[in-house]
Amino acid sequence: MEIIRNVGRHKLRSFLTISGIVIGVLALTTMGALAENFNALIDGGVKYFGGSIQVGPPDGQAANLLPMSKIDEIKKVGGVEAAFPGYQFAAKPGGAIVVSFGIPDTIVAGDPDENNYSALKVTYAQGRPASASSHGEVALGSTIAHEFNKKVGDTIDLPVRPADAKPDFVNHSFTVVGVLNETKTAPDSFAYINIADGQMLLRDSLPASLQSSIDVTQITEGISVYGKPGSSLSNLDKIADRINSQVTGVKATKPSDLVNGFKSGGAIFTAITTAAALLALIIGGLSVVNTMFMSVAERVREIGLKKAVGATTFNVMGEFLLEATLIGLIGGLIGYGLGVLIVVARNTLFAPADGSTLFLITPALTIFAIGFATVLGAVAGVLPAWRAARLDPVIALRNE
Amino acid sequence: MANVRLIELTKHYKRGSEIIRALDGVTLDIERGEFVAVVGRSGSGKTTLLDLLGLLLKPTAGSLFIDDIDTSQLGDRQRAQMRARRVGFVFQEYNLLSGMNVLENVMLPLRYVKDGKASGKQRALELIERVGLTDRIKHRTTELSGGQMQRVAIARSMVNQPSLILLDEPTGAVDTETAQQLVDLLKRLNSEDQVTIVLVTHDLDLAGQARRQIKLKDGKVLTDEWLPEKELLPA
Ligand SMILES: Nc1ncnc2c1ncn2[C@@H]1O[C@H](COP(=O)(O)OP(=O)(O)OP(=O)(O)O)[C@@H](O)[C@H]1O
Ligand SMILES: [Mg+2]
Repeated sequence: MEIIRNVGRHKLRSFLTISGIVIGVLALTTMGALAENFNALIDGGVKYFGGSIQVGPPDGQAANLLPMSKIDEIKKVGGVEAAFPGYQFAAKPGGAIVVSFGIPDTIVAGDPDENNYSALKVTYAQGRPASASSHGEVALGSTIAHEFNKKVGDTIDLPVRPADAKPDFVNHSFTVVGVLNETKTAPDSFAYINIADGQMLLRDSLPASLQSSIDVTQITEGISVYGKPGSSLSNLDKIADRINSQVTGVKATKPSDLVNGFKSGGAIFTAITTAAALLALIIGGLSVVNTMFMSVAERVREIGLKKAVGATTFNVMGEFLLEATLIGLIGGLIGYGLGVLIVVARNTLFAPADGSTLFLITPALTIFAIGFATVLGAVAGVLPAWRAARLDPVIALRNE
Repeated sequence: MANVRLIELTKHYKRGSEIIRALDGVTLDIERGEFVAVVGRSGSGKTTLLDLLGLLLKPTAGSLFIDDIDTSQLGDRQRAQMRARRVGFVFQEYNLLSGMNVLENVMLPLRYVKDGKASGKQRALELIERVGLTDRIKHRTTELSGGQMQRVAIARSMVNQPSLILLDEPTGAVDTETAQQLVDLLKRLNSEDQVTIVLVTHDLDLAGQARRQIKLKDGKVLTDEWLPEKELLPA
């Protein structure tokens, strides 16, 4: 009680001190949420690319295409359990390039069976995957479904016609047969179609002169190769090496290279954002030190009296530490609250058209933000509290 | 044995090469329930004596027993516990906490004794009644007169039922009439509770109302006399 009153006694000063912490925690919360969101994206990438080997055309080949026959060659390599062709197309071609932390909307054509091998399993909120046999079916990721406001049974034209479409732009009507659960990573902005439809879109994308001469059923953009379920990264790396040495005209990327790339990107981003926020918070902490020293200085008599009526060094220290901790905690709670408000506002009220999220509040972030502010308050209080506790009561009582 | 026993109690301060003998070898006993006035010129060592009795200062030499406990053997924690339980302090400047009301001020020392608050609140209320401030219980101390503030301080000094109350010029900042009322209150508490009272004062008229009067000079006891019986009666 008394401690709360002490904080309340100098309203302006406490307000300013707490504001320092609030700003720091606010920065920490929003920056942290930014990093957490980014890390969730990266985790998806790590999971996906850490569970398969991506095979593409060799370095230096101009066209981004591979003969379908390579799939059978790859399947013969030791350790390979499955290999799938795949095609990817921009879902919103020609749109202005927007800087975003999200992944752009993408049409992904593949074999529904691939989900049985992939480390990043997708599940369906509604409906089912696009079947391999029928034409014109699509399963939408949660973000893209939300963006275009589609549910099972609706139709969607893909790729989406840009405002400045060229006269030869073609797209096709797809029936939505499924909507995926949110994954916080890549599949959220993907539209999944089957291989035949992917080949149709591939033909659309070829120059008119080539459209009749190339058999699109015999080419793929890339091949995803899987080992036994649960294969380790190093095992997959070895398989990738074997593919490179045994199959000509392809290049298999070691999954560890991709994963490390993702991880270091995430670590740098997290480090930069957190460091900036911590800096803000530590400056807030210094203002707590200052406030507590002032508080000790003007309560010298009070400290002397408390000692005279039986307070130990430990008691006095505890009272001041608690006060500093309380300042930290209040600042932490308010700052975190404001941070969450901003995050929620950005993610819902001012949600961008593409439906991508920018911030992600996680329990770890919550504990870190509030916990750090509280500990910071306590640490900031140590020196002032120590000075208070060490005061000689006789001198303290004669103060002023 | 006596409530308080001083044997060659000494407090010296060094200022450069000079030694200040603030208290210089004082030996005396104070029995439980005595009402002692300590007088002497400014600088004679009165406050030093009180601070030593209240365990706020450590003596340079000599020994001090309170309730048969040799205080020189105590650690800091135990000294704090003795301050909390056995000694009450009243200062000229009241030293009330302005952020708290009357009751909270009186209850402050309960905070530093184990299980203090449970049994102590009732005692605090009783003491506030005995010092005549029941109608001010929830008032901030800043709303009180000097005499009232000193009553709060006296109630506070007694809340942990100490055997000894030390008052350093408690009437120094109030008018003569109020001072007399405070001394009357002290006399009443002294006779009702058998609590030992050591009162430092410059006011010889007030000092004359004590049973025993100790006069200090240059840190030594100049006189230590028991006053005639008739002057003991409350005015
Ligand atoms: N911390 C200290 N350091 C040095 N000298 C001190 C200290 N405290 C007290 N003294 C000296 O000790 C002597 C006794 O001081 P004390 O405060 O006990 O006197 P007093 O009788 O209470 O005087 P007063 O009536 O003015 O309050 C004085 O000469 C004083 O200057
Ligand atoms: Mg004095």
